[in-house]
Amino acid sequence: MVPNEPRPELRRTSLWSDLLVIGLFAATLLGALNVEAEWRAPLTAAAPIDLSPSVLPLYALYSLARSWLAYGLSLVFTILIASWAFYDLRARRLILPALDVLQSIPVLGFLPGLVLALVAIFPHNNVGLELACIVMIFTGQVWNMAFSYYDSLQGVPAEHRNLARLYDFSGWQRFWRVELPFGTQSLVYNSMVSMAGGWFFLSITEAFQLGDQDFRLPGIGSYMSVAIAQGNVPAQIYGVIAMGVVIVTVDRLIWWPLVRWSKKFNLDDFAGSSSGDSGPGKVALWLARSASLQRISLAWNTLTNALLRRRHAPHAVDDSASATRGPSRFWRWVANIAFALLLALGGYAVVRLGLLIAKLDVVDWLEIATSTSYTTLRVFAALAFSVLWAVPVGVWLGLNPAYARRLQPFIQFAASFPAPMIYPWVLTLVAAVGGTLGWGAIPLIVLGTQWYVLFNVVSAASAIPNDVRSCAAIMGLSGVRRWTRYLLPAIAPGLVTGCITAAGGAWNATIVAEYVRSGNSLVQTTGLGAYISRATNAGDYPQLAAGVIVMAVLVVLINRLVWKKLQALANERCRFG
Amino acid sequence: MSPPAPILSLRHVSHEYGTGANRDLVLSDISLDVTANDVVALLGPSGCGKSTLMRMLTGLITPSKGEVFHHGTPLHGIAAGVAMVFQNFALFPWLTVRGNVLLAVEHLPPAERDAKVDRILATVGLGAYESTYPRELSGGMKQRVGIARALVASPEVLCMDEPFSALDVLTAETLRNELARLLTDKTNPLRTMILVTHNIDEAVELATRIVVLAANPGRVDQIVANPLPYPRDSKSPAFAAAVENLHRILTHTTLPDAPAGAADTGKVIIPVDETHHRIAPVTIPAVNAGEVLGLLARLPAEAIDIFDIAERLGRDFGSVVNLVKAAELLELVRTPGQDVLITDFGRQVLAASTLDQKKLLREKILKLKIFELLIRLINVQEDKTLTDDTLLAELRALLPHEKPRVIFRTLVNWGRFAEIIQHDQRSHQMRLFTRKGPRVLVGPGASGA
Repeated sequence: MVPNEPRPELRRTSLWSDLLVIGLFAATLLGALNVEAEWRAPLTAAAPIDLSPSVLPLYALYSLARSWLAYGLSLVFTILIASWAFYDLRARRLILPALDVLQSIPVLGFLPGLVLALVAIFPHNNVGLELACIVMIFTGQVWNMAFSYYDSLQGVPAEHRNLARLYDFSGWQRFWRVELPFGTQSLVYNSMVSMAGGWFFLSITEAFQLGDQDFRLPGIGSYMSVAIAQGNVPAQIYGVIAMGVVIVTVDRLIWWPLVRWSKKFNLDDFAGSSSGDSGPGKVALWLARSASLQRISLAWNTLTNALLRRRHAPHAVDDSASATRGPSRFWRWVANIAFALLLALGGYAVVRLGLLIAKLDVVDWLEIATSTSYTTLRVFAALAFSVLWAVPVGVWLGLNPAYARRLQPFIQFAASFPAPMIYPWVLTLVAAVGGTLGWGAIPLIVLGTQWYVLFNVVSAASAIPNDVRSCAAIMGLSGVRRWTRYLLPAIAPGLVTGCITAAGGAWNATIVAEYVRSGNSLVQTTGLGAYISRATNAGDYPQLAAGVIVMAVLVVLINRLVWKKLQALANERCRFG
Repeated sequence: MSPPAPILSLRHVSHEYGTGANRDLVLSDISLDVTANDVVALLGPSGCGKSTLMRMLTGLITPSKGEVFHHGTPLHGIAAGVAMVFQNFALFPWLTVRGNVLLAVEHLPPAERDAKVDRILATVGLGAYESTYPRELSGGMKQRVGIARALVASPEVLCMDEPFSALDVLTAETLRNELARLLTDKTNPLRTMILVTHNIDEAVELATRIVVLAANPGRVDQIVANPLPYPRDSKSPAFAAAVENLHRILTHTTLPDAPAGAADTGKVIIPVDETHHRIAPVTIPAVNAGEVLGLLARLPAEAIDIFDIAERLGRDFGSVVNLVKAAELLELVRTPGQDVLITDFGRQVLAASTLDQKKLLREKILKLKIFELLIRLINVQEDKTLTDDTLLAELRALLPHEKPRVIFRTLVNWGRFAEIIQHDQRSHQMRLFTRKGPRVLVGPGASGA
């Protein structure tokens, strides 16, 4: 908002930077045109997938466009729903539990309704199918963002809220100037996690079977699923490489600069000295030398300034007059109607689902019960395995930040790579040692969820205060006592948080891990995930509904009865300071 | 000349926080006027509701009872023309110094706005810092930004909420002097201020009227006019006399010279039925038992003024008064007037070993009515275990004007210190202390495991 003096290194503009910026713009535009053409093409439910590597850039573009559109949707939804929950006490009691339930519903639970409805709305072109795919990716991204933004809203200091009132900020200004900046850091971090969550189910969301109909959208996910279905190993390798390139590029070009930039909103080092690596990175500095970009950013500043500026003196309008009461009554009505809609929607969903699952008989429920017990065992086995290796490694990394920094890019890459794309390879390994999918599903689940445990343990271990570390060293704690008396309690809050996230991911991952296409054959085992996948493919909606409901209820129950209690315990007893 | 109409006034205002059983009355029946050219200091011990009172005057808080007037009309929402300086600065870390200050005047045309910002930044000595981010500034500089942001809009009333208490002593002194100079500056239109403080010198240096508040519940104890001409010289006899006067008033407010032997404390007997009587105890000051011993160690042999102690300890007088009250309750000191004098018992405690200190204090603490009540309560429980909730409910019934949670914490602290009770924070209950076996030193992590 302030016309800053340009940094000394920016006074000299560079033509090369300009060319690069223009090139990037042109590429984006070209990409957008391509995507638009694909969307407007006549509806082809199962697009033919070309397995030659030369189409991969185009497919990558399609997949990227879907992910980013889904992310945009997630961001808007996050801000709206979290703000609503924060400001409307009545809605909060409904929204928070609803989000909790929704985040435990696996992506297949949303699939049939979305696809059938949206394809019916747009019967003549691909828009409906594309939208359905985007919303499915959205369901894999949005929930943790919504929770994190809600927490940030709760964390805005009272003094800053008072200040916003004293200066008569409108709701819009308060959002841009106070709430969003305070939430930026955790929102950026959660966006990275969400993006990975969206990639995870890409091979399902782009290529799936619903009853007797096949649906396929051109993209990396469907490329992989076709390559796997045909047992075409070279194509699988190309697909994995393309996916890796996409992840690294997005990471470098978008997330790294964003993370650096978001450090400016760090409130912790507010009182201390400025941290070393905030501010623009090398790439950003180089780009910023472009004269056209500088002009654009100046225009952007002027524009936001004009949009955000308060136009009247604070409280110049008489507050007691209709000036504030009018809109507040209007908004109360909007809130009332929205709340009623929310209730109606929830009620409708419950009734419809109830009618659906009423069609099941005892045999079905017995099958669900057996499947559920197998899946529960697998989820906890996967969790146990993740904890077993991630705790020692995470603690070691957390206590040795030099290694952690060096390894971080690799771990981050591994974590955001969609594991289902390499499931067939892992299964081949499992088969080589004589395992079946019944056991093999466990490593498949681990592949996706172990990272949550690792990340949280690393950050918990690196947050152990130096005094405590010194004390443990001086007292010569070693061996078992070092772990039980010092390290495990010290990382407990982080470990539990990691386990909660990992468990949630593990439940959802079972729908791909227990039901794997490998080569020409379909490998499946007894489990709730396989049950849900099978029901989707067969278009058996009562079974699908029952499977999804059982999974969601189980996840929420285990969260409430086990994890939340453990978390409360860990936070009460094992927190420093 | 008729008196000018007050800019802000409170009429019979009361305020409560919380609802239902957790309700705390923070302010009770307060009436106060702030007229033009008034510099009002709200002075009082912590917990007397000073900050709440100021937030009511600005409209940030709407009182539970009573009315607030702004230029004679009832106030709805925030009072126009009021600016505020916050204890913790409330700056936006992602905006530069200039950006922070601009927020207050952004509705003005650019030329006028920039001129105003330039002028105010120069006035508070931030001219060279305008494109700096707050995280690069020291605490004092940050508060200068806060003051600049408040002044730039030429407010009618400037509200300051303990503006210097987050700063070190020397920085605070500098800023206070600069603020005083601003008040004497003929070109500066701002003459009306409300200042929340617990620092007596600060109040005398800046204020024209000093409102002394008493706690539990917060109420106006006395309003002292302070007509000394600006600039005020803190070494002048008139200044010293004003400070002395305030000392006397505050001592009277917070440390009344009532006959206060521990045994006599609060002999209010409430009959429950024919056979049982309950004794309503007078509350104990909310201080840590360990701190009382610390105070004792710092006392000189001869009598010392309570405000001198506060200065020596570098703490606000409110907390020192609480410490002295606690020491007096335990018969460690006497307080003739506003002097503090260590007793023979106090000397005996001071000379004793740690174990004996606890034993000596334990006897005194056990004599306090509130502990008699506590022990009786524990003993009437079937399993001799008292839950926190039961005790809290009991305290709430017996001492309706106190904050039950505060007393509860103090009771547990003293009880544990003197080895009278043991409290389990996990199961939220307490029982009488029993020593078992020899003490064993435990390793680290034992408390966390």
